[in-house]
Amino acid sequence: MADAQEQIRQTVTDNDVVLFMKGTKSMPQCGFSSRVAGVLNFMGVEYADINVLADEDIRQGIKDYSDWPTIPQLYVKGEFVGGCDIITEMTLSGELDQLLDQKGVRYDKAAADKIRDANA
Amino acid sequence: MKGLTRKMPIVDEIRDKLEQAFAPQRLEVVNESHRHRGHSGDDGSGETHFHVTIRAEAFSALGRVARERAVHTALGRDLVGRIHALGLKIEGAQDGAPRDPA
Repeated sequence: MADAQEQIRQTVTDNDVVLFMKGTKSMPQCGFSSRVAGVLNFMGVEYADINVLADEDIRQGIKDYSDWPTIPQLYVKGEFVGGCDIITEMTLSGELDQLLDQKGVRYDKAAADKIRDANA
Repeated sequence: MKGLTRKMPIVDEIRDKLEQAFAPQRLEVVNESHRHRGHSGDDGSGETHFHVTIRAEAFSALGRVARERAVHTALGRDLVGRIHALGLKIEGAQDGAPRDPA
């Protein structure tokens, strides 16, 4: 268990943006994971995708790490941002853009606007 | 007495716990499990996927992550562990009118 916690800490430290998800960014295996990966893919955010279905220790460990009971979980610069509902709301409100700007993470602003236009 | 020992539907369990914890101005708990039949997480119980819309004063001072944590805490580890998916729309009492759903 301690190993999983250390592994997670290392992963979110070494990568600016990390998505713990069910499946992979190119083949998500859950609608909620798929939605968040889809937003990041469309916005051209570079991120590490960690498939929790491939590792039971990480699957449980990530819930303990953030004290958050569900997956997906998005981390930016080591900080837990939220799950599917939070990321969706933040995308539509522009808060996700602000966060990425603040943290110096590159993304395609025009694509983010396109998501908002399509959901206006 | 048989009726009293019947298991409470999870929708009611969620509603009761949130009512008690937050005395919400608005609370809707919807069982959406039928929309996910055959998807991963569908265990055939018909009680796997839920969506909650809640508006309460208690959330006003909290950020997004803290709001969801407060709801998870109120529901308790056991209940959260029993359901596959819980969609949340959480508003503070002072939040503006909700946007049209996406």
